[in-house]
Amino acid sequence: MKNNGNSEKILSILVERKVKPAGFIDVFRRNNSNINKTIDYFLKHKNLELDYRTNGVNCNFTGYNNGSYKEIIDFVLKNKIELLNIGDDNYPDILKQIYFPPPLLFFKGNKIKNLGFSIAVVGSRRCTAYGREAAIYISKSLSEMGIIIISGLAAGIDSYAHKAALEGKGGSVGVLGCGIDVIYPPENKFLYENILENGSIITEFLPGTPPLKSNFPVRNRIISGLCRGVVVVEAGEKSGAIITCNMALKQNREVLAVPGNIFSSTNRGCHRLIKEGAKLVENIDDILDEFSRYTGKIFKPDKKNNVTSKKENKKPGIKLNGNELRIYEYIGYKSKSVEDIVKYSGIEVKDVLRILAFLEINCLIKEDSFNKYSRLF
Amino acid sequence: MVFKLDSFTLEGIDAVKVSVEVHLSRGLPEFIIVGLPGKAVNESRQRVRSAVINSGFDFPVKKIIVNLSPADIKKDGSFYDLPIALSILAAGNQVVSEIWKESCFVGELSLDGIINPVSGLVSMAEEARKAGKTFFFVPYRIANQVSFISGVKIVACRNLLEAADVLSGKEGIEKFIYKGNDTGGKHFYYNFDFKDVKGQLKAKRALEIAVGGRHNIMFIGPPGSGKTMLAKRAVTIMPDLNLQECIDVTKIYSLYKKNVNNLIWKRPFRNPHHTISRIGLIGGGISPGPGEISLAHMGILFLDEFSQFPKNFIEDLRQPLENREVVITRNHFSYSFPCNFMLIVATNPCYCGYFGNDGKKCICSLREVKKFWKKMSGPIMDRIDMRVTIDRLPESSFINTEYGECSDKIKNRIIKCIDIQSYRYRGQKISYNSEIGIDSVNKWLKDDKKIRDLIYTVSKKYNLTARGMVSILKVSRTIADLERSDSIKEHHVIEAVNYRVSFNYNSDNSICM
Repeated sequence: MKNNGNSEKILSILVERKVKPAGFIDVFRRNNSNINKTIDYFLKHKNLELDYRTNGVNCNFTGYNNGSYKEIIDFVLKNKIELLNIGDDNYPDILKQIYFPPPLLFFKGNKIKNLGFSIAVVGSRRCTAYGREAAIYISKSLSEMGIIIISGLAAGIDSYAHKAALEGKGGSVGVLGCGIDVIYPPENKFLYENILENGSIITEFLPGTPPLKSNFPVRNRIISGLCRGVVVVEAGEKSGAIITCNMALKQNREVLAVPGNIFSSTNRGCHRLIKEGAKLVENIDDILDEFSRYTGKIFKPDKKNNVTSKKENKKPGIKLNGNELRIYEYIGYKSKSVEDIVKYSGIEVKDVLRILAFLEINCLIKEDSFNKYSRLF
Repeated sequence: MVFKLDSFTLEGIDAVKVSVEVHLSRGLPEFIIVGLPGKAVNESRQRVRSAVINSGFDFPVKKIIVNLSPADIKKDGSFYDLPIALSILAAGNQVVSEIWKESCFVGELSLDGIINPVSGLVSMAEEARKAGKTFFFVPYRIANQVSFISGVKIVACRNLLEAADVLSGKEGIEKFIYKGNDTGGKHFYYNFDFKDVKGQLKAKRALEIAVGGRHNIMFIGPPGSGKTMLAKRAVTIMPDLNLQECIDVTKIYSLYKKNVNNLIWKRPFRNPHHTISRIGLIGGGISPGPGEISLAHMGILFLDEFSQFPKNFIEDLRQPLENREVVITRNHFSYSFPCNFMLIVATNPCYCGYFGNDGKKCICSLREVKKFWKKMSGPIMDRIDMRVTIDRLPESSFINTEYGECSDKIKNRIIKCIDIQSYRYRGQKISYNSEIGIDSVNKWLKDDKKIRDLIYTVSKKYNLTARGMVSILKVSRTIADLERSDSIKEHHVIEAVNYRVSFNYNSDNSICM
């Protein structure tokens, strides 16, 4: 990293002079977005107006260790955490455009520098199997086209979005609501490690900051700030994902929502977004259409290699014998139970089970609920 | 004068010979028992005194000292009433007999002289044989329990007077030697049968395989799907006990309760509630007794609502499942109890109980479902080879009047399957497919390329662990045995896949329906 020491200076201003990040951005804007002038301003003016100072309550930088500048910089160097300030060339342009960009980011991984086209996939922490499937499908397909998936590294939809995104070439960026050394939720430990191989973890919070409740809405503005659009997969009425969407609208980003079951409370938020005008996402093309003005040339859906057409791709290459074919044809798209199949075919249970497992192993049928199968093709 | 005769005490499941010594001496009338007597033994003074007087004998007006030797073993229970009473009579020359040396005695006396049942009779009878005794005097009411033990003659007396008459020769001893009465217990029937279970074909087939290879099995299903009903019927398809097994079972039960009238021919089915204490499950206590796992010896231990059992209790089962016996060690003793049981567990699939259910929707989030399964993951789940999901029956099945196969038919197939296994594993330490070690599993894989490829595909599709694959292969061995096939074929493995993969929440990329 080309290091002109600005990041360290900013860190010292924010920590030692207790300057509010928002105050910093204010001065930065008034100095025509010139970082050197901004730093000089703070170094010259020993007595700052009270507006720029934190009173310790409403501060984003409340590292619970209350470390001094020196402790923090030592920690950063020791743990190979990198810094990115708003004046850097590598600082994502798209993030500079928002109303209150973070003046300083802590990050790990190489994805955040020269950030490419990205889309956020967010949703509830308490997801259902349906939400999970949707998150994986969307993130994986987008990632395979080289789109970077942004999310919040929380439990539920976020973690599945990250995991799926890492399988494609696009990769993933996780925005934390805590210090970069804090792993939350703990079960995402492996995800933290994996994400560094093809992505980044970023945060504006000082190392050691615990995942406070108030951090997450603040963090959400970065998620929406980093991307062109937000896809909400599963969100309840009062979900954090909805906050991200509100931020996204203020920041002039697109909002898209995946519909769900109308009877389940886990999709209320998504449905409200759709009612209010968010685009309904049924497949990847819905997302790509929305961004065609950015992506028109680059991400033209490739018919041959498109995930949406996976059903045609997987035509069975296996020859089925008499009974197998009979059972396979009997199992419709509406699920049939083992008992039904035995009764229909008149074959012994053990043979039916054998055939069902054989068909399932070869991806011709799937178990919908306990011992009930339906056809995939 | 001093008089000695033999009785027994219990140490865990084993009986130990105890000699009851009586000294009548001059001095102030007194009756003392020494030799670490427990409360029940100390109280026997009152019972013995009344029983002796009420049987028409004189209670000696002397200083009576009873010593129970070896004097450093704690003695508890009411075994010594009869031997103490008889030795007092003998010391006072009220009963003279020639067979004192060849005899041993246990029994509790009631105040009118009747001999009441005691626990642990089977172990004592075996110990009597080992000690080379000819006659073993037992309470009449439970004599049938030990009638099958050869090598020692069981003398069953109703009361103290009868015992005294037999010893002194007033009554012929032959009349009192207990002849086995096999009408009690051997011919039993279960009042439930496999044919009662409607539908649930997969579960029934799975249970047949599980019993055939003695695989531990888990039923996963929503409330009311018939998990308990199926588990109960597992005993009806297990082969009958042979005499030795039957004696082993009776031995444990006679420690547990006193009034075991017959040998226990039925395979035990133990179904402890999840509020059970740790000692109740594993065994132990002040005078250590068998827990539920030992009471399920040779039978089935069914843990319903498995998820409700405390986690550490579940972990406690690990060693007993492996070793087929449980060793209970406290600071001054270490006893082992056999516990060769088959484990059947039943659980709901999640907190609300309806995960994977077709009709009623589950209201748990995936995270909660994972949390639910996390409690059961780990080593104990490795020991459960088969996991079978059960759904609730559709309404149409209830009114279906067709019956399925009855237990006897399935039992015949299982007997053959077990015979094949005991022939194959003759001379080895194991006797069932579930106990196969990893080396033979590797050998099958090495020999057959087709199976190797299949296992590779399956494990990739369902994200199986190595343990999962070993379980699948063990179960396929049993399926092959049920079909009397010498080697494992591809279709055996494919069927076995059914009984494993449906619920794999241990890995992160678990499969959900």
